This record gives sequence, structure tokens and C-alpha cells, in this order.
Amino acid sequence: MKQFVCLFLIVIFSCEKDDICPSTTQTTPQLVIEFYDLAAPDETLAVPGLFAFGLDSDGLEVPIINEIVTTRSSISLPLKTDGILTEFKLYKSYDVIDGVPSGNPDTIKITYDIENIYVSRACGYKTIFDIQAFAITTDADQWMISSDISIYKITNENDIHVKIFH
Amino acid sequence: MLKYFISLVACLSVCMSLQAQQDSIPSTDSLAVKQKYGLRVGIDASKIVRSFLETDYSAIELNADYRLTYRLYIAAEIGNEERTTSTDYLNSTANGTYLKAGVDYNMYNNWAGMENMVYSGFRLGISKFDQTLNSYTIYDTNSPTWGQTEVLEGKEFTGLSAAWLELVFGLKAEILNNFFVGLNIQLKGRLSETQPDNFENIYIPGFGRTFDSGNFGFGFGYNVSYLIPLIKKAKK
Repeated sequence: MKQFVCLFLIVIFSCEKDDICPSTTQTTPQLVIEFYDLAAPDETLAVPGLFAFGLDSDGLEVPIINEIVTTRSSISLPLKTDGILTEFKLYKSYDVIDGVPSGNPDTIKITYDIENIYVSRACGYKTIFDIQAFAITTDADQWMISSDISIYKITNENDIHVKIFH
Repeated sequence: MLKYFISLVACLSVCMSLQAQQDSIPSTDSLAVKQKYGLRVGIDASKIVRSFLETDYSAIELNADYRLTYRLYIAAEIGNEERTTSTDYLNSTANGTYLKAGVDYNMYNNWAGMENMVYSGFRLGISKFDQTLNSYTIYDTNSPTWGQTEVLEGKEFTGLSAAWLELVFGLKAEILNNFFVGLNIQLKGRLSETQPDNFENIYIPGFGRTFDSGNFGFGFGYNVSYLIPLIKKAKK
């Protein structure tokens, strides 16, 4: 009995904390944009050679993690969690020949409110966003013509938040 | 690591002192031997030692028991605990006061003249505490693009409370006249708690750390106590 109590005591307090954030936990969601055909607004239309950069506060291009040039009809973009404004440059037909990038870049600007939601002791908090405004910067050779916010609250990545017509 | 070592040393010393008494010669008429009844007061030495050794921990606990019958004691603990918990993504401090009350039942058959305990008991515990969220990092697996966001503004959640039931198993050995050392382990089940808004109770003073997987908890104590003998009674 006595020996048992002693052993038991040692076993209990040898347990280490299980405070590791599992990678399956839902993370801070990204903005999901889907591209639609301007001529047939109910149908998605893939963008050839779509590639995105983030833009920092000086307007310089910031590479986005896991972003590769592909022809696709939707894109997920990470919003800044320490501010209320993020800008992206979206290239159509992006290519780099001898170190010179080519394609048609358009800039989008998203303003939003942020809210930090408790996840768990291991993962801390995640941010969810409430879109206040979505704008395509006008330029001479614009490929994105118009946009429509379909879901303002960005809480997960299963929804399409913004539709862009081109 | 040190606290495990302290537990181990405490274990062994109490085990040995209980072992030692088996060598003593029993009285021929144990029924005639009177035992001391009174109020035993003490402190939890492990909490004091940990307060000195660990920068993120500070606590004190006073305990008392009063002998009702040959085997039954009423027992209570009162304490204050402050604990800072830090994970990869957040850092928080819990601070508060707790009270535990219940009974202990001595299962040990002492030789005549000995008054040691191997006991089991239960407690009802309540705690009033505050929790401060010191800092947190936004969990964002896409953060390499813009960098991680750390929020440093402290946020305090006050007026929190919790109640729980405890099963206690322990030993108490009289190493000098009226002077006892003992240790115990506690298995706890939380009955209720007030959760802070958009946060959770990471640590509850008196209860200990909480677990994501359930309402259970663990604790241990290493007590040093003194018996104030009030009356002497023979076993009936």
C-alpha cells in the first residue's frame, strides 16, 4: 500500500504538459476570392497564369507563402492580423523571362475590422475579419472589371468571400 | 524536476518512519492505551519551497484537522496561489484564494502508543480568483507572409470562481512528540466554474492546472503539522 502510494505520486507528477497546438486546428482564415465571367455572371471563369503578391506599406511586393503561378478560378490570400488594411497585386498571365516579370497586374485593397477569438491554451487566439470595403485600383489596362462582396465575415476558408468579374 | 525529487524524498522518509514502528513491541493490553485527540495545524511545505524555487509560482497553504473519533477527522485547508502559465501561443497568470473542507479516515492500525495515519478522505473545494492574459500570439499558419502578430496588452478577468470535489490519499507520521510530517495526493473533479469571456481558466488556485480533455485535476501536498492535544481517550 505504502509503496503503491509512493509510486503513484511519482507517476502523476512526471506527466508533461500536452500544450502543443495540433496542426489540424482551424487557423486564422484567409480571404477567398472566386473569379466569374463578366459576360455570364453566374459562371466561374479561370484566370490564366494567376499569381499574387502582397503589398507592404511602401507598395513593395511581398511574396505569399505557398503561392504558385497557375490557371485557376479562385485564390486564397492571407490578411494582415496586425492592421485593418491589406493590399495585393494580382497578375494575369504572369511569367518571368530572364528575370523580368511580365503579365497584367491589378491591385486590390481590402479594409476590415479584426476580432481575436480564443482557440485553446495551446494555440492561443485566431483572428477573424469583418470586411468593410473591397476595391480594385483603377488603371489603364485593368483585367478585373468589378467585384461583389458575398460574405462580409471571414470566419473560415470554406466560404467564397468576394466575387471578381473579368 | 526538483519537486519530483522532493516528493520522492518525502515519500521515502514517511514510508521509512511508518516501517520503523513495526519493530516496536506492542503493549499487552492495547485497549488500555489512550490516544491523543486534538487540533492539528500545519502548513504545506512543498508550496513554500516551490515559491522560492520557481519564478512563475507563489503559494501558501495552511491546513488543520480535528479528530472526531478513533478513525475519523474533519479536515480543512485554506490557501492562496499565484501561477503563471506559458505556452507557445499565450502567457497568463491566475491568482486567488481557496478553501477546502472535508473528512479524513485513518485506515492504519497503529501499534500501541503510535498515532500515525494512512488515510483516505474527501474535500469540497471552492476558489475565488482572477486571471490575467499577459500576452498572446495570433495562431496563423499563413503568418510567414506578413509575420506573426503578438498582442501584448494585458487583459484581466476578475471575479472568477470554481468548485470541485477531491479524493485525498495520504500519510502522516509523528516524527517527534506531537510533530507530524505527511504527504498526500489529490484527485479532483470540477463541479462548476465561471469561464472568462473569450478565454478559459488555464489554472485554478487550489485546483491546479486544467486539462482540455476533461474536468479532472491533480494535486499533491507535503505537510508539516503540530498537534495541540486537548484530551486523551482509549479506543472503544
